[in-house]
Amino acid sequence: MAELAVRTEGLSKRYGTVDALADLDLDVSVGEVVGYLGPNGAGKTTTIRLLLGLIGPSAGRSEIFGLDSQRQAVQAHRRLGYVAGEANLWPSLTGAETLHLLGRVQGAVDEAYRDELIDRFALDPSKKVRAYSKGNRQKLILIAALMTRPDLLVLDEPTSGLDPLMEQAFRHCIHEAKERGQTVFLSSHILSEVEALCDRVGILRAGRLVEMGTMAQLRHLSALTVEATFDGSVPDLSRVAGVSAVQTDGRVVRCQVRGSVEPLLKVLAACGVHELLSREPSLEELFLAHYGSDGVVADAR
Amino acid sequence: MPADRGRRGPGRSPATVVATLTAGKAVRSGAVWGAVFALYVTASALGYASAYKTPQARALLAAQFGSNFGINAIIGPAHHIDTVAGFTAWRTLGVLSIVGAAWGLLIGTKLLRGEEEAGRWEALLAGQTTRRRATAQAIAGLAVGVVTLWTVTAVVSVAVGRSSKVDFAPEAVLFLAVSLVSAAAVFVCIGALASQLAATRRQAAAYAGAVLGVAYALRMMADSGTGLEWLRWTTPLGWVEELRPLNATRPVWLLPIGGLILVSAGLAIHLAGRRDLGASTFLDRSTSRPRLRLLTGPTGLTVRLVRPLFAGWAIGIACLGLMMGVIAKSVGTALSDNALFQQAINRLGGRGAGASAYLAVTFLIAALLVSLIAAGQAGAARGEEAEGRLDNLLVRPVSRSRWLATRLAIVTVALILAGLVAGLATWVGAASQDAGVGFATLLQAGLNLVPPAVFVLGVGVLTLGLWPRGVATVSYGLLAWSFLVEIIGGVVNANHWLLDTSVLHHMAAAPAVDPNWASGGVLLGAGLLAAIVGGVFFGRRDLAPE
Repeated sequence: MAELAVRTEGLSKRYGTVDALADLDLDVSVGEVVGYLGPNGAGKTTTIRLLLGLIGPSAGRSEIFGLDSQRQAVQAHRRLGYVAGEANLWPSLTGAETLHLLGRVQGAVDEAYRDELIDRFALDPSKKVRAYSKGNRQKLILIAALMTRPDLLVLDEPTSGLDPLMEQAFRHCIHEAKERGQTVFLSSHILSEVEALCDRVGILRAGRLVEMGTMAQLRHLSALTVEATFDGSVPDLSRVAGVSAVQTDGRVVRCQVRGSVEPLLKVLAACGVHELLSREPSLEELFLAHYGSDGVVADAR
Repeated sequence: MPADRGRRGPGRSPATVVATLTAGKAVRSGAVWGAVFALYVTASALGYASAYKTPQARALLAAQFGSNFGINAIIGPAHHIDTVAGFTAWRTLGVLSIVGAAWGLLIGTKLLRGEEEAGRWEALLAGQTTRRRATAQAIAGLAVGVVTLWTVTAVVSVAVGRSSKVDFAPEAVLFLAVSLVSAAAVFVCIGALASQLAATRRQAAAYAGAVLGVAYALRMMADSGTGLEWLRWTTPLGWVEELRPLNATRPVWLLPIGGLILVSAGLAIHLAGRRDLGASTFLDRSTSRPRLRLLTGPTGLTVRLVRPLFAGWAIGIACLGLMMGVIAKSVGTALSDNALFQQAINRLGGRGAGASAYLAVTFLIAALLVSLIAAGQAGAARGEEAEGRLDNLLVRPVSRSRWLATRLAIVTVALILAGLVAGLATWVGAASQDAGVGFATLLQAGLNLVPPAVFVLGVGVLTLGLWPRGVATVSYGLLAWSFLVEIIGGVVNANHWLLDTSVLHHMAAAPAVDPNWASGGVLLGAGLLAAIVGGVFFGRRDLAPE
């Protein structure tokens, strides 16, 4: 069995009567890039704060590289880099001073890589933190986490406040980290980011992990979208096995297919199909399938 | 402060949202401090009435304090203190003006620059209001807080005034309450003005604090009996003194007070419109050369963060010590025949005479200042946690216990240095006048200030472990209570159980007597124990953001 970078067993956190996180079992192998999806309040940040030992679980446990994340937090943190969704730094320090401090606290910094990151993210390190915009503060904590080349990167909505160019630079860094064998745990609600970067994706809903798998596995669970244009009359597809959500627009029919497409193909072949388009669901569609089209779930916290 | 307080509630008009939000916070604070003001007025009036029952006792008190320039310099001149009204006005105005001014500048800078620095104004200004209008609204909200302070003080004081022992006319008490909150109102507006000049809340509070320091120093010089009485007209604290509530009231002095309030509020609103959001009127260096020497870990970081604040406190304590040292001899000579003062010193545990006896009382103020550093640092530790900056260290290989222990060690060293500065500066002042109080005696008196401060720090850390959101309330509350008990205990024969609740009461009245290192040791031990217990709980609980 591959070494695990992150492992949780029945990890739970209750605030009063609310389950912010319930019974989370999660394994992240070394070298994997795992996406952790969910809307605000689903329990993403709670999971990460539990993994970091900043809060304690109501039940269950979690490990980072086999080290208990509560009792052996200091040892676990030697191999970890964390980026919060909001950069809260010391306003009177400059960017360079902040990077120096955080590097020294962490222990080991790849200085050449740090300088490259400063260039890549176009950060002026001579400015004081209080003079930085939100985006620049975010870049600063990204650089601080990446420059130590940690074995595990824990990222909690790391690109909030970044412009599209910087978002690209971030993706490039994560690809590099993956190539170097670093593990990445990426919590996000930017679906395209997760789709582009992650090997596996977990979907969290109201404190519970409702789906976990590769993109292919998740797609398999979900419906395929099929659009068929007919030469002649349009057949009734609603009774075909596995077919749902049939919409007819003139001679064009759109529908969703779950499981095998064979029954549908047989019907279509018999009816004179002029054009056939099929498309796998995007992560957004998978995500919305779990949340409904408005993406709203009850606040977990 | 929970983050969601910044949200706009349903039904609030965008035109008044800043005023409403500011008023909400200012009213809470004004009500709490109004209760403190009211308690102090009550204790002063009833305490005097029961301690000095006969006209003879009152005449003796008046004869002794009326010409006591040392006490006059600290809390202002005594007029008609052979009456309950005269004594109450003198005691409350002298102390509460300073407390009110400090409250005003802190809340003024907190709710203007502090809110802006935290980014909460960004969302509001993106709406339907301008910077100028928002500042005017915030000042209006603060005014509601001042009115609350006045209302609570006035209502309780009017009730106390109806007591047959006290017998104040209601309208006289209302004017007393106006006088008591005048300095608060002035410094709320000075705080609002400083918030436009400085880039950070801390800087703004430092500017406004410097104004208060100068105003107090001028008032002290005016009341020191050195022929500089005219200086009283140059300082708002002097104007407040000239209001003479409960006696020969002089409401005309409300004019310069009102004028200063209007000018500073108007200037604040004007400057708010001339600068960018988040920017300051005074140039703030947004870039600087990296200074990396200290930034090697939590220890160096704490030194770097605490240093400028400590330097400010040390300068303040040194100035106070120097000034007290300089006047110690002349005041001490006048006091040596003063039975009542000796009695007060005895109540505080002292047995000295002359300059030493006087300095023992002034060291009580120094003790308050050193302990304020401790309370402030307990609050600062909580601030690091509440504002999420601590996360940056704790997600790296730094344990909570290491961070807290390091911080406490550095603050303790700072408290010892502050005590030494107090002793040293007082010695320099006293030696310049040949006051006859030795170097070692004053240095020990300085160190004597440290145990209560460490105790306050320990209680702050205990609160950090058990009730993180209450750190500032508990540590400042403990100090405010202790100081009030000391002041009351210095005048009336208070119950020893009451006196024992004051942390300052367990400090020997050095340099009038030798420091009691045994009782100091107990305070240190209790502070350390509280800090350890607090540290254990802090290590086990969830980190709690604002």
